[in-house]
Amino acid sequence: MQLKLTYLFLFGLILVSSFAMVQQNESATKIELLSTDTNFEVGQTIVLKFSASQNDKPLLYCSNSYGSTLISATIKNETLEFLIPENMSKKTGVVNWKLLHNTNALSGKFSIQPKAEVATMETYIGPPSIEAGGTDYTMLVVIPTDSLDNPVPQNTLVNAKHQFLDSEESEAIYTNNLIAFKNIYSKKESGRMLISSESLGVNSKEFTINVAAAIPTDFTISAARPHDYADGNQITTFSTSIIKDKQNNVVSDGTFVTFFIKNQKQNILKTTGTTINGVATAKMIHPDFADDWKITAYVDSMSESNSISLNYKQVIEDFEVAFEDNNRTITIGPLQSFMQQMIPDGLYVKLNIYKDNQLIDTLTKTSFNGYVTFKLKPAIYQDGDYNFSISTAGLTKEFNSKKLW
Amino acid sequence: MVGPNRNILRTILIASYIMIVALIIYGVSAVFSYLNTGADRSTMLHTEIQKIEQYLPKVEWEPIQNEGRSIDDQTLNTIQSNYLDAWYVKQIAYNTNKTAGIKDYYTDSARENLYSFIELNKAENTTIEATTLRHNPTLEFFSEDGQLAVITDRNVIEYKRIFKADSLVLEIKETSSYKIVFLLEDGFWRIRHMVKELTEPTNDNPKIVSVDSLNIKGINYYPQANPWDMFGDAFSTDIISKDFKIIKDAGLNSVRLFVQYDDFGKEHVHTEKLKKLKQTLDVAEAYNLGVVLTLFDFYGDYSVMSWTLNQRHAETIVDAVKDHNALLAWDIKNEPNLDFESRGKENVIAWLDNMIDLVKSVDDTHPVTIGWSNTQSATILKDKVDFVSFHYYEDLEDLDEAIKSMKNDIPDKPLVLQEFGLSSYSGFWKPFGASDEDQANYHKKIQEHIATHGLQFMSWTLYDFTEIPTEVVGKLPWRKNAQKHFGFIDKNGAKKASFKYISN
Repeated sequence: MQLKLTYLFLFGLILVSSFAMVQQNESATKIELLSTDTNFEVGQTIVLKFSASQNDKPLLYCSNSYGSTLISATIKNETLEFLIPENMSKKTGVVNWKLLHNTNALSGKFSIQPKAEVATMETYIGPPSIEAGGTDYTMLVVIPTDSLDNPVPQNTLVNAKHQFLDSEESEAIYTNNLIAFKNIYSKKESGRMLISSESLGVNSKEFTINVAAAIPTDFTISAARPHDYADGNQITTFSTSIIKDKQNNVVSDGTFVTFFIKNQKQNILKTTGTTINGVATAKMIHPDFADDWKITAYVDSMSESNSISLNYKQVIEDFEVAFEDNNRTITIGPLQSFMQQMIPDGLYVKLNIYKDNQLIDTLTKTSFNGYVTFKLKPAIYQDGDYNFSISTAGLTKEFNSKKLW
Repeated sequence: MVGPNRNILRTILIASYIMIVALIIYGVSAVFSYLNTGADRSTMLHTEIQKIEQYLPKVEWEPIQNEGRSIDDQTLNTIQSNYLDAWYVKQIAYNTNKTAGIKDYYTDSARENLYSFIELNKAENTTIEATTLRHNPTLEFFSEDGQLAVITDRNVIEYKRIFKADSLVLEIKETSSYKIVFLLEDGFWRIRHMVKELTEPTNDNPKIVSVDSLNIKGINYYPQANPWDMFGDAFSTDIISKDFKIIKDAGLNSVRLFVQYDDFGKEHVHTEKLKKLKQTLDVAEAYNLGVVLTLFDFYGDYSVMSWTLNQRHAETIVDAVKDHNALLAWDIKNEPNLDFESRGKENVIAWLDNMIDLVKSVDDTHPVTIGWSNTQSATILKDKVDFVSFHYYEDLEDLDEAIKSMKNDIPDKPLVLQEFGLSSYSGFWKPFGASDEDQANYHKKIQEHIATHGLQFMSWTLYDFTEIPTEVVGKLPWRKNAQKHFGFIDKNGAKKASFKYISN
């Protein structure tokens, strides 16, 4: 009986002690977070420490702005240490972690704060060309970043600076949503605007914005010509006044101006030019017959000029026609200009040939040394009676019943 | 006597000669015409660029009230599309630890951050399978020149599975907020900065739907002429109406119908299929029958990268019919436990888990269940489903025990015996199969079990079928033929002996 009691006692002791051991084991595997910091500055070495007395090395799951990874532990002085990898500790944002342990699934998060430091001023500006007048604007967007390529903290001061003509301005803006931006409005004048920005002592490079003149206002035109004869040879040059916008800025070079010329027959001739320093010029050859021109210029759908009139005087009053070689050679001339000089080469002469009152052919030639000669070949124009009409410089002469043979 | 024989011989010789020549000519011409086919000439112009949808998480933009220039829809769509692509290439990159595609969607300096993760994870043999299920972006800023945008994407639900040396070590779902700066470079809206501002584990506490009024006495239904192709060309409301009348007259109150994933158009659900589905529900309503709608039939890819596509499919269908009076419950998937082996149990369960959340986020009034193929799987996700469904085709003697064990494990949720039946096929492929009497007997017995345990039930099935698609039970003729004879009504329309026991 005694023996039995002893056995029971011993057995009970073993049972109790085993429980105690089990409990001790449990307390040993109890892992607790030792690190208390939840805010770190970016770039700082971050180590998460956990208490652990066993050689149990769980993994740590870790996730930041760009990705996730698993970190293995090192054990130092009975603490589990997880070194957050450099690629995570150098990016700002919230990092959440979870300890991969069956019984102690600890989790948490810490935040990596940006540094109050600027290394680069990433500057974007656009549109690169705006209109003068004070309504149009360009936008400066700055993304200041630190040396680890992180955006700087919210509300970091950025100075947006710009120079235009005599004025140099600087305005304080603050980062929000990782960027800082400012709308820069044009002034009345056109010209080049230089823009830069600065934050925490770091300056951006210089950016240029072209402030172009606004749309042109109405303008006047003038014409210049060597003489007022309709010789079909000289050139009349049209030019505009200096075209300006409503703020008195000269319009951009290359503004396209179209000159519309309406003649006596209500036909429209058109010539164009582009501006240089606000003045556009365009040329038109003189007519070869007396005519009245009415000219108006337009910058398409924006502005127009006054109308001017030009009168061209007839130079050839009359011309002679000679029929030779069985009437098969027709010589027109001399064609003489206003001082009885031979007309410069190139005057159009038109010959209409009629047979039995039917127009059978039209021949055109240009003058050479004051004369034009038509040769009617027997193979084409068979023997018979023909009517001819000859016109040049707005004059027409008719010759009826000329017999070719 | 010799003449005719010789003539026959000659005829045969000449005929076979002609045959051989014809065959050779046919063969040569087939080869020739094959070699002459090439790419369609119109493809030279590259006129059609087909965008394949690969990543379609739910994106809900906050009202547009951004600073800077006002944005047009097209630009916003481009930003969204590029942003999702950026997530997609990132998920692929972390899954494979390869950098393909990243440079299209991240600027020079931003991509370094991803490369460093890939390098680290590659060295540590860590891979991450991840997807995002929901985005809730706000456009904060759009620059005047249209080259820079900032968005804050709040409540991004990220699902991740972390593998170490190819074994799953962690499954995690996080809700995070990101602030993102985009630059328009080379026609891509590329991510320049991305800062995670908030993050916490996702709490999915979908509303538990009351199932007190649920009293399913139903049947799995396919039309007799076109089983497993109910919403195809042979769809006819007349036939369905006739069948539903039979079902109603037999004393049943519900039917289980199947929506097939491919048939309904995958992530872009065909409207004509939805129309047919609604017509079917209209008919059910007319006969006062409830409908348990089984989604994702004939679907077997549970990979994380396809989740967003699957969810768009489910979302469209659920949203389209959630207000229909005939709708009784959602069955997420038919017999998903059969895919455990081929697709991985964790994959399938995680897919189901998240799909339940999705369905409940769209429709929080109808109960949700999963049609487990056996009683052993029925406890999986028992806390997520509103009632537990299981199928039983095993020996009736073991049913009692199985139900008791299930009731023990799942004391608080109704059990629905969602499929059961016996094939009355007995013929060439299965000489000692059950007869019509055996089938009737089976149904009589099982109805007794159902009554004893107070189960709800849906039997398999109304009709004997003449055609079984290969996808259902495979090609083996003994399986196919057995599957043809589970009905209460034979192929000629005559009620079998079992019809008497169609309901209790």
